[in-house]
Amino acid sequence: MSQSAVAISSSEGSLSPAARVELILSQVSQLPTLPAVAVQVLAATQSADSSAADVVRLIQADSALTAKILKLLTRADLGVRDEVVSIDRAVVLLGFDAVRNAVLSLQVYETFASVEPGEGSVLIREEFWKHSLAVACAAEMAARAASKVRVDPGEAFVCGLLHDVGKIALDACLPKSYGRVIAQCEMKRVSICDAERAVLGLDHTQAGKRLLDQWSLPRSVVECAWLHHHDELPESVQGRDVVQVVHWADNVVRRQRIGFSGCREIEPIEPGALRLGIAAAELARLLEQLPRRMETLSELFGLGAFRAEGVYTRAIADANAELGRLNAELTETNRRLTARSRAYEAIRAFVTASGERDGVGDVCAAGAEAVGRLFDAREVVTAALGPGPLLHAGFWSAGQTRRAGRCFDPSVLGPDPGWLRPETGEVLAPAPHALQRVWRIVRECDPPPDCCVLYVRHAGRVIGAAMFEPGLTPPSQRAGREEGESLSSALGMALASAAARADAERLSEDLLDLNRRLKSAQHELLRTRSLSMIAEMAAGAAHELNTPLAVISGRAQILARETEDENLRRDLQTIIQQARRASDMVTELSHFAKPDAPRKARTLLKALFERQYLHWQERLRERGVECAFEVHDEAAGVYADAEQTLAVLDALIANALEAAPSAQPRVQVNSAPGATDETVRISVTDNGSGMTPDVVQKAFDPFYSNRQAGRGRGLGLSRAQRLAEINGGRLWLESDPQHGTTATLELPARED
Amino acid sequence: MPGVRSVYTTGQVARICKVSQQTIIRCFDTGKLRGFRVPGSRFRRIPIESLRKFMIENRIPLEQLENGKKRVLVVDDDAAIVEMLSDLLRRDGRFDVRTASNGFDAGIETRDFRPDIMLLDYKLPDINGDALCRRLRNDPQHAYIKIIIISGVVDPDEVSGLLAAGADEFIKKPFDIEQVITKMSELLGLAA
Repeated sequence: MSQSAVAISSSEGSLSPAARVELILSQVSQLPTLPAVAVQVLAATQSADSSAADVVRLIQADSALTAKILKLLTRADLGVRDEVVSIDRAVVLLGFDAVRNAVLSLQVYETFASVEPGEGSVLIREEFWKHSLAVACAAEMAARAASKVRVDPGEAFVCGLLHDVGKIALDACLPKSYGRVIAQCEMKRVSICDAERAVLGLDHTQAGKRLLDQWSLPRSVVECAWLHHHDELPESVQGRDVVQVVHWADNVVRRQRIGFSGCREIEPIEPGALRLGIAAAELARLLEQLPRRMETLSELFGLGAFRAEGVYTRAIADANAELGRLNAELTETNRRLTARSRAYEAIRAFVTASGERDGVGDVCAAGAEAVGRLFDAREVVTAALGPGPLLHAGFWSAGQTRRAGRCFDPSVLGPDPGWLRPETGEVLAPAPHALQRVWRIVRECDPPPDCCVLYVRHAGRVIGAAMFEPGLTPPSQRAGREEGESLSSALGMALASAAARADAERLSEDLLDLNRRLKSAQHELLRTRSLSMIAEMAAGAAHELNTPLAVISGRAQILARETEDENLRRDLQTIIQQARRASDMVTELSHFAKPDAPRKARTLLKALFERQYLHWQERLRERGVECAFEVHDEAAGVYADAEQTLAVLDALIANALEAAPSAQPRVQVNSAPGATDETVRISVTDNGSGMTPDVVQKAFDPFYSNRQAGRGRGLGLSRAQRLAEINGGRLWLESDPQHGTTATLELPARED
Repeated sequence: MPGVRSVYTTGQVARICKVSQQTIIRCFDTGKLRGFRVPGSRFRRIPIESLRKFMIENRIPLEQLENGKKRVLVVDDDAAIVEMLSDLLRRDGRFDVRTASNGFDAGIETRDFRPDIMLLDYKLPDINGDALCRRLRNDPQHAYIKIIIISGVVDPDEVSGLLAAGADEFIKKPFDIEQVITKMSELLGLAA
């Protein structure tokens, strides 16, 4: 048997769970068979033609068995005062079933008792059978006392005695593994069935059922072995009443701490008593009589003397139970501490990693990592709404220790996805459908099948979610709800503050933009206002000034015409010129403020440049200026007022000539395509000393002149700019103090 | 230099019409030449309108009446410009010059003086030059008067508005005096 156990252990790893269970069950089936008497008794109860007398004869042939049966059936406490002297008499007094049950109890017990514990077995047989016997007694007494169920006491006895035989079977087949079951049960306070399933893949109820079925024991015995851990069974279950009785008896015995069957779980017994219809007084009597009955039967079953309420046993049991409890508490504390330290680590790393300038996307990514570390996940996807209408998502993958944040329009999730409306109040839950869609969008693949979600809460509201697949950490060391809540609020705080920060940034950007627009509007208003004021003033001034100028000029002309004095005539000519200049200035100012409406037309630059050259050639020659006009093939013409364009070029060339140095002065006039097809640029470049940025900035101010005060009137460039603007173009200067200045006039290439 | 009068004596009329004074007195007394006697005396006086009518009826050339000079009315509220222009035109010698400093005076002078040409400022204290232009152009009696607007306005829209109102020329202040004389000569058909 121990060899088989070894064989199973060695092949544990390679078998499927189902095959493993089958293998174990086949081992169980190889346990010793029932003695002949028991087989006969069972056969007699199952077939109508076999008479009770045959069975009685069979029993009586075994005098030791007969003695034991008679002792088992003698119940002084039940009014069977006379010792039952023979099996015949017992059948008459108590009925055949009672005898049959007694046979079964004794024979099956003996069969099992003969099974030697395997190597490494920790299940103490004596304690186990003490427990089983106590359950049998308690079940028998309960069957008698119960008013709501009808169960034969003898049947209850045999069912109680054999309810846990599955444990013996498993321990016999797999002693070492079963040792681990009991250890786990002790340490972690899990139910023995759970421990058995975790370690072996099947529990003792399955093993017991299989074995008892094979032995063809009565239905009720099989069902008790199989179902005795269930207290509430459907009515359809055949042996429902007896199963209930045994279940309750099991609890009573565990509470009374009689024997040990592998686990120490205790349930209150009062509700069960109520269900079975056992009155409080009956219950008290039962608890009082149970030890005495045990005393009677312990010896019969070869378990030695049973000392009721033995102080020593009780103390050991209590100490054991206390140790178990402490152990369990420590284990639980350890689990919680491990989980908490993970949570603390995750939160600490998250707080360290998230900077003050992080956006919502960054926080999402950092949060994904924190969730991944806390729950030992392989991949995490986090998502948070806003600020603004966007959905921010973060992603973290354990393999690549990679963090990434991104955002997208939540409308891709369909209308009102409700993805942040958890179905329950739990912070940890299976990921709902809407969130799984988020995973699909972020990862471009399906979420893992057991995808969980940790909702991120802030100020009582869910503001984000982290989806992940729990990793390989054993459930006992996994972070739970509490740790999840801690991380959830840390994430919530960070997300909320990132959102607030983004909001504030957006607001201040809006404010800046508004300021900028206000400033430019102000500037424009100032400009237009001063322009219209200049226009109005210039129009009035023109009339007011031109009249006295006309007098001065006219008088000087009259005098000049009539004088013979050359000097006087020259002076008079100066007066006439200056008067005209003053008048021109007024006219120019008036035109600057209110220029003539441009007569825009397609204007070829070649013709324009030729006119320009003719206009300037004399002055250029005089000053020895090298001047070149070049028209680019792809910038041959503009759509603008020809005269006004000429006026602009005049101003630019005049400006360039003024700047050009006295040694090797050079002025270059070029056309070139603009930034787009729609524009053409004409540039006028000099090789002068250039302008400082300050001068460039002021160059277009009316009446600003870089020349000495009192010389020139400086409307040239500002008027040129004005003309460029009314022709739909613009004019700007670029200057390098070393290499001169380039003035660029950009005009529309064609009609809109 | 004798200007054009509004009232003449019989001796003056006789000189203008190149007939004897007696003939003029007879015409006056028979009612052919209309006039009046100076109150409290017997002196006869003939207003220019009846003289002009008389000369036309009797086919006497009017040159004698107008002494060959063109009548110019200078209208400007600025005394200095009026003075300067009058001076200029008188020095030229081909013009009889009268002046007015506002629209009302200009109206009276137009009727009395019957100018051939008017040098008109655009902005007058009581009426704008363009309005005056329009009044004159709408009156057949005065439609013959040439009008040159001389002004300091520079707005091209205003200038074209003035020309549309009926002005023959626009000259911007300050001006070349030769240009003023030239334009006037052109409009009046004088040799430049």
